[in-house]
Amino acid sequence: MQTASLAFRNLFRNTRRTVLTVMLIGFSLTALIVFDGIMRGMITLMVDNITGTLTGEAQIHRVDYRENLDVDLYLDNAAQIESQLQQDASLQAFAPRVISGAMISSSYNVSAGLVYGVDAQLEKSISKISEAVVEGAYLSGEESELLIGISMAELLEVGLGDRIVLTLSEVDNGELAQALLRVSGIVEFGLRELDENFAFTNIAAARRTLGMTDQQTHEYALRFVTPLSLTDSSSALLDELNNGEIEALNWLELNPEISLILEISRYSSLMIGAVLFLLASLGVINSMFMSIYERIYEFGVIKAIGTRPGDISKLILFEALFIALISCGMGILLGAAIGAYTSTSGIAFGEMEFSGISLNNAIFSEFHIIQFTQFPIYVVLLTVIAAIYPARFAAKIIPSDALHKSL
Amino acid sequence: MLLFKLAFRNIFRQRRRSLLTAMSLIGGYVLSVFSFSMSEGSYNNAITFFVQDHTGHIQIHKEDYLQRPKIHKSIPRPDELSAILDANERVASHTLRVFAPSIAYSDTDNTPAQVIGVDLARERATSTLAAKISAGAYIGPELDGEGYYSAMIGAGIANNLNIGLGDELILISQGADGSIANDIYRVGAIVGDRSSADRSTVYLPLVASQEFLSLPDAVHEVSILLKDDGLAREEAARLQELLPEFTVDPWQVVEATFYQSMQTDKQGNVVFLGIIIFIVFVGVLNTVLMSVLERTREFGVLKAIGSRPAKLALMITVETIMLTSISVLIGVMLSAPLILWFSLAGFALPEPMDVGGVLMSHLTGELSLYVFAVPMFLILGFAILISIPAGIRAALNSPKEAMRSH
Amino acid sequence: MKSTSIQSIPTLAQLLFVLLSTALLSSLASAQESAVDIIDAMEELYRGESSLARMTMIVETPQFQRTMEMESSSIGTEKAFIRILAPRKDRGIATLKLDLEMWNYLPKINKVIKVPPSMMMGSWMGSDFTNDDLVKQTTLTDDYDLTLEETDTEYRITLVPKSNTVTVWGKIDYNVNKELMIPLSQNFYDDSDRLIRKMEFSEPREISGLLIPSRMEMIPINKEGHKTVIIYDELQFDPPEIDESIFTMRNLRSRF
Repeated sequence: MQTASLAFRNLFRNTRRTVLTVMLIGFSLTALIVFDGIMRGMITLMVDNITGTLTGEAQIHRVDYRENLDVDLYLDNAAQIESQLQQDASLQAFAPRVISGAMISSSYNVSAGLVYGVDAQLEKSISKISEAVVEGAYLSGEESELLIGISMAELLEVGLGDRIVLTLSEVDNGELAQALLRVSGIVEFGLRELDENFAFTNIAAARRTLGMTDQQTHEYALRFVTPLSLTDSSSALLDELNNGEIEALNWLELNPEISLILEISRYSSLMIGAVLFLLASLGVINSMFMSIYERIYEFGVIKAIGTRPGDISKLILFEALFIALISCGMGILLGAAIGAYTSTSGIAFGEMEFSGISLNNAIFSEFHIIQFTQFPIYVVLLTVIAAIYPARFAAKIIPSDALHKSL
Repeated sequence: MLLFKLAFRNIFRQRRRSLLTAMSLIGGYVLSVFSFSMSEGSYNNAITFFVQDHTGHIQIHKEDYLQRPKIHKSIPRPDELSAILDANERVASHTLRVFAPSIAYSDTDNTPAQVIGVDLARERATSTLAAKISAGAYIGPELDGEGYYSAMIGAGIANNLNIGLGDELILISQGADGSIANDIYRVGAIVGDRSSADRSTVYLPLVASQEFLSLPDAVHEVSILLKDDGLAREEAARLQELLPEFTVDPWQVVEATFYQSMQTDKQGNVVFLGIIIFIVFVGVLNTVLMSVLERTREFGVLKAIGSRPAKLALMITVETIMLTSISVLIGVMLSAPLILWFSLAGFALPEPMDVGGVLMSHLTGELSLYVFAVPMFLILGFAILISIPAGIRAALNSPKEAMRSH
Repeated sequence: MKSTSIQSIPTLAQLLFVLLSTALLSSLASAQESAVDIIDAMEELYRGESSLARMTMIVETPQFQRTMEMESSSIGTEKAFIRILAPRKDRGIATLKLDLEMWNYLPKINKVIKVPPSMMMGSWMGSDFTNDDLVKQTTLTDDYDLTLEETDTEYRITLVPKSNTVTVWGKIDYNVNKELMIPLSQNFYDDSDRLIRKMEFSEPREISGLLIPSRMEMIPINKEGHKTVIIYDELQFDPPEIDESIFTMRNLRSRF
């Protein structure tokens, strides 16, 4: 097309201006790509923190259990639930837990805490307890093992091998029960709450102390084969499990504040995008006008000799299109380069705690296809749209005025 | 001066070009202000919220009560301290509090309760407690007809114990002298609902709590509201010197986790702001450079008819500054209402968000000099920075070449 | 690892037991008998013992000093009833223990509170004893391994908890004055042999025909400035006034 090739060549008549405009648009695109990548990385980190640390991707409880963590509200058909979980293809792993508040005493001191009785093996596929062990060893299923948080260990002034007495109430009858355990490992999650208040022991020991049978459990934590999508977090298994007595919820439902944070980050992305695009559009309009001005004499001439207004606008629009395409090219390359760097080396943000989730690890930005498809398309579209006004202006130039134009 | 008049007229002579340049600059300014506001803001409302809700701007405790609360770490003779604070001009109001973890009993049930004794009159002026009452009325410090003190209880307690207004409430705790603290109170009001932060709290008149805990003439905490938000740290330091026997902390220390999260988030925002500023810079570069360089031919003519290069460069710079200033001023006028709305109302979050232990319900921006001034100086700075070399270049061009350009 | 007998530090009843056992030691000709035999014999003897006592308890902390007067009744190690006589503010507060359960009566609010497991490790009346201590029952020979050592002036019985015994202590030492046959001290150690608490006996007096230290001081080593002192003002064994009706809820609530 003649117009097209003319448009393309026009760009280089004033290379400097073209470069400036391309830079403006290109950098905006780069910024958007980088920002999006970082946002995604942050969300992944957050989701991983929530689901991976202790919660799992979904949990099953007796209805009303979560309100007060009442030990008497236990599930008492473990065999049935577990067989249902075993057979479900969407589930990768599950772990049963027995949970009770307790007074945790050492020779030195006593502290209130939450004791989790877990199945050492099954738990490994759900939560990060085994990875959090900083001293001693993870649970191996032996009788008197106990893992306690590092801050709690400091408060109780205990180290590995020291004795601990747990004091709690049995289920159903509320009678006093005590157990002697030995600190077999110290865990550090990096989360205040966990390190100060939590202790982990083997589920068999916990059940025995609480006077529970092996059919009785307080909680099952689940992990799916494919992680639940953030936008559509439904699951057939959970729907099946939910009945009047049992409640099966995914992590988003268990942590409603998190979906809030996700929304906010979506808002932020949108807003930043809007800001960038607006800036870029203004730059484009400015640039196109400048280029029209300098050629106004020329436009006057060609209109005078009969070029149709439509063709002139087409010309301008094509110029905008090409600028957009070149900018996208540059923007994508730069975005990819920065993205590659931040996705491998990560960005350390320092310590943050939102909704009890600590974000003190580095954030690794992530690539996503829309960064290289959707965003550039928006950029091109916006640039061309921004050019419409200048294009129409150019089309409407009155030759006589133009030819008289002085500078 | 002639130069200024000339510069001024030049701006209006090329209306369209000036307008476009101005629009770019205005746009860049408004968007920067908005971005700054968004990244600086968000937290101010949350801070104001918890400061007024219960934290205050400054808190005074004995020793390390804040980190490791123990009943015996108490502030004796609080009246003396109150006198000092009442006389302090920068203090808007203050309140006194006593704390005790306890168990609340009704006839048949019991539940853990955090007992907080407050100076009722002062508390009303220093926190939003009075506004949180969902049933009954803000109690008074007197004994009722039967010799009981009144209590305001959280909705969680009312629910767990199945008691309501007018019912008896029994509290048991450990006194400061080691004895078993036990007493009966009359429920005068219910505070909040079952999901409130203080659903397990029982508020008592200060005197009642001191009697309950065998803690005569002492309190655990003094919470202070200042007249000026921003002076918390300064005033805390000043008070600390005045009161070496106590520990005086500004809210940044009292709510350290929140503050830390906020700082880190702000740090992250710096990165994003940097990106925005960079884009704005490129935009201004684009705009200003173009508007100067487009006129190369015009300048060539001017030089040809005798204008001195220096004067020319100066005029260009002056023009740019004038245009930029006008644009920025317009930008301020346009963005002011926008930012005002953003800082006062902001976007309502569908559900309050917990940031380091503090609940935020709105995403708001910051309204401050900083938010308007920084982009202003940045854009002016950029414009000048760019216009000087451009102007010099334009001025140095030989007239012949200049007039030949495109 | 739940054991029927749980120990942390001696109950008041246990204190009496030690007094008795060492007092009776003096009446046993041969100290060559093994520690286990002695203690076994004591336990047999002690099981039926009832007692009535009037004591003063002084609690010292860096923040306060509190003096209380109490009267206490007990049958064996299973039942105990303690009532506070002074100070005035606390007069009438009573504690009833039946086996492993414990209740407090608070006259000001006229209410009986059962001490829940979560409060078991809390201090009793602000002292360095916990509720748990009062509730405990001892079967020392079942739950501990005993060794006896002698020096010129002292007997030392070392008690090391068996692997199933639920206690926070790694080791307990009883030291007895060989000549007077009265206890000198008990030391409580953690697993690393660090001394955590100490109970010291002093001021021996003749009470009901036995030489008994009338003053006991419990000193937590890891808490500076803390101390609890118990002084027996009066003490009777197998007094006629004791009967089962004392150890009832009704008596707990009764006007006094």
